[in-house]
Amino acid sequence: MTSQAIDLKTNRFKTNRVKTGINWLMGIGLFMLPLIWIDPITYLTLTVAGLSLGMLIFLIASGLTLIFGLMDVLNLAHAAFFTFGAYTGYSVLNLIASFGWIETASLGGSAFFLMVALGTAGCVGAILGIITERLVIQRVYGDHLMQLLVTVGVSFVMVEILKIIWGVNDEVVPVPLAFQDSFIIYGVFVEYFRVVAILLGVCVFAGLQFVLKKTKIGIIVRAGVENREIVETTGYNINRIFTLVFAAGAALAAVGGTMMAVFNQAVNPGMGDQFLIFALIVVIIGGMGSVTGSFIGAIIVGLSFNYIAYLVPKMALGVNFMIMAIILLIRPKGLFGKE
Amino acid sequence: MISNQGRTRTNPFILNPMVCLYAGIIVLLALIPFIFPSFRVMDLMAKIMIFTLVVASFDLLLGYTGILSFAHGMFFGIGAYSVALILYHIPKPSWYHILLAVIISLGVSIGMSLLVSFFSLRVKAIFFAMLTLALAEFAHILGVQWTSLTGGEDGVSFVLPGIFNFNHSFGTLFHTQVNGRLVVYFLILISTAFLFAALLRFTQSPLGRVLKAIRENEQRTIALGYQTFKYQIYSIVFSSALASMGGILYAMWLCYVNPDSVFHTAIMVNILLMVLIGGMGTLYGSVIGAAFFIITENWLPGLLKSMAAMVPENVIIQTMADRWQLYFGIAFVLVVLFFPKGVLGTIRSRIRQKKILLNTLFKY
Amino acid sequence: MPTWAGGLRMNDPILFLENVHTHIGQHHILQGVSLGVTPGGATILLGRNGAGKSTTLKTIMGLHPPSSGRICFLGKDIHTTKTHKIARLGMGFVPEDKAVLFNLTVEENFRLSMIEENEKIHKNLEEVLLLFPALKTFWKRKAGLLSGGQRQMLAIARVFVCDHALLLIDEPSKGLAPIVVNQLGEALVRIKDKTKVILVEQNFNLACQVGADCFILDDGRVVFHGLIRDLAKDRAMMKNYLGI
Repeated sequence: MTSQAIDLKTNRFKTNRVKTGINWLMGIGLFMLPLIWIDPITYLTLTVAGLSLGMLIFLIASGLTLIFGLMDVLNLAHAAFFTFGAYTGYSVLNLIASFGWIETASLGGSAFFLMVALGTAGCVGAILGIITERLVIQRVYGDHLMQLLVTVGVSFVMVEILKIIWGVNDEVVPVPLAFQDSFIIYGVFVEYFRVVAILLGVCVFAGLQFVLKKTKIGIIVRAGVENREIVETTGYNINRIFTLVFAAGAALAAVGGTMMAVFNQAVNPGMGDQFLIFALIVVIIGGMGSVTGSFIGAIIVGLSFNYIAYLVPKMALGVNFMIMAIILLIRPKGLFGKE
Repeated sequence: MISNQGRTRTNPFILNPMVCLYAGIIVLLALIPFIFPSFRVMDLMAKIMIFTLVVASFDLLLGYTGILSFAHGMFFGIGAYSVALILYHIPKPSWYHILLAVIISLGVSIGMSLLVSFFSLRVKAIFFAMLTLALAEFAHILGVQWTSLTGGEDGVSFVLPGIFNFNHSFGTLFHTQVNGRLVVYFLILISTAFLFAALLRFTQSPLGRVLKAIRENEQRTIALGYQTFKYQIYSIVFSSALASMGGILYAMWLCYVNPDSVFHTAIMVNILLMVLIGGMGTLYGSVIGAAFFIITENWLPGLLKSMAAMVPENVIIQTMADRWQLYFGIAFVLVVLFFPKGVLGTIRSRIRQKKILLNTLFKY
Repeated sequence: MPTWAGGLRMNDPILFLENVHTHIGQHHILQGVSLGVTPGGATILLGRNGAGKSTTLKTIMGLHPPSSGRICFLGKDIHTTKTHKIARLGMGFVPEDKAVLFNLTVEENFRLSMIEENEKIHKNLEEVLLLFPALKTFWKRKAGLLSGGQRQMLAIARVFVCDHALLLIDEPSKGLAPIVVNQLGEALVRIKDKTKVILVEQNFNLACQVGADCFILDDGRVVFHGLIRDLAKDRAMMKNYLGI
């Protein structure tokens, strides 16, 4: 009896595979649509730009979905981690610029300095994450409403502290000159930085998937999400693990913030809120708790934003809202959502 | 449900203590401009009344129906902007244009809230909260970027028509200028009193009781045969409409709106703080929350500045005093963590505990 | 050396509880539980629903810290120790429900419980898989797709793999078909020869098959301690405390 039941299940799985394949083809077809209105060269430029924007959004969204999917915690303070990361990166780059290295550095050197900035931002993000989790989040586990309220408050407080440290104005971020160069492939201008962004996003995605699916800690985290008690009674300190996950999510947001600071060449205290919408849309489209979902969702959002921004500039943000609305209508859990 | 739910119709409505208190407060508020002729006091009172309404309508949504929507501030902004844009773009407005603004903002609010409530039913609560957050941010961005309509970041400044015009004077009464501003003040007083009473009536009606049941246990209410989503829709639409009304009154009082003053997430955080301080699920709590918040908002920066003036050289203290919103944020987090029931909520639960204690004592 | 209800003295208990009280919220569930468990074999905890059997296991495990009393495991006081540390001292726990992780594969469920992955553990794993061959067949399958009985086997197997000094197992037969309960009983008999087991069970036959020493709990207190075959002869006590 059991083997029959399993056979039925695999059969259902097979038809699901066919369905998924068709969905993918339709999705890709949809994204080729703008070719009707845009010439191929511009299309490719926009695609590269869109992919890099998407990767940056993925960095923020992945932290959000990780914290929700893995810890069942709604963290709206994510925007603040993002902004703090951006400002940290800005300060680091300012410091490097004061040595005059920003203008002189080669591509490799610039990449190194970027890594330094990203690393610092990541550490700051992680520290903020640990503090927030220990002080605040631990008291509101299990209560979604309180989590939303508390994290909104924490976000507000953090942004105000940021304003005290760095001031309220927009600041210009010194960007390594080497990154502002571009190279030409088949007539398409590709900025080096965009490529860096895409590479970073893909690496982070691959890294996250690897850690979650293949490593012991990934198993512990996935188990802890489903059933805290079992993980505790098996012998793991679940509190410490959740702090770790939260810190990782915050670090990701901070890294995303620095990348965005370099991308836009500017920082301002409100940038977190602006990008939080993108991250929220991506997480809703992709499905809460799914890293793959936020990856795909971020690509969708990044690409569509760029295409529409070129064709009908005012509708760019609106289009993303529409996509989110449509996806919520046909699949309320998001494309890859589990819950 | 047996009997008449414990309502004993022995006292006529007028002598009901709550009604007397209510009427008393209204009379007091009406007399304020004459007792304290300063503009600052009137401004404070007007804002308290407006925000009481907005916060109470939010409490209906959150405390009574159990739905967290970050779009409440957006509805407030919609009301404010409808009045502002109509009075700004129409060359010679008269009083019925205000009515037009009311109708338009009600229309937009009801339309949007229906749309929003449609989504709230398909997705879980957390998704809904995030959706509304995104929506509210979107409204903010629209307000900033759609400069042709909304005047962008600078906002829109306008004058009120007819008797509401601040320059229009009727003379003096008890040494106080009776001008358009006073008229607007009384309009605010009457509107908020009326709408707040409507809100109270709503919650005490059978509809309100179903909402309470939904908040307690949605599954059970569905099992009892109630179409919960219908009631949730009523709640969302009603509270959004009220928030818009609050926005209209606010715009009429300030005669100036800009995206940051009505659409910014800070407004939403403030509303949340007011609801929490007052007590979720207690409409009267919104009075306490709004009053506390607005008075502190008015008075705290001054206090901090005078404290900072004592050490004018210390830059850190100067900046810390500048950013008084920081302390609000901290207060917010502390209230959420340690006093989630708010002032009125804690009082009510203490009373309830005492009642239970008395009951158990009297059982034996 | 402390004594327990029934007056039987214990030598070198692996675990003993002394006058343990546990409150859950406002409810006073355990009202002075004292018991001791000797190494070897299986000890059964019997009692009606709501007597406090599961709570006793959870209290031992640290999931509901006792409000007063003393718990001593392998010579160490553990009533104030955190759960994960108690587990590391050598205690395994199979809860009443949700005992396996549905979203993880069988392999991952095992990997989770193997805190250190050394040769000994891998040897244990091989032995365990001989004991429960079905688990080997579904090695890469998500645990949620297994049948109820297989899941229960997995729940016990993943804890057994680790060479714990003591296993706490809470009503494993609940909701299982009789033939599966038989298989479960056979597995438990093999397990108890290698590791000390405290088994909470409502199924009296299964209890007799697996264990010899037993305690009966009623209203949060121990009311009987002795051999299960002696209990089986005492009709009055069976009716009173077990409702059989």
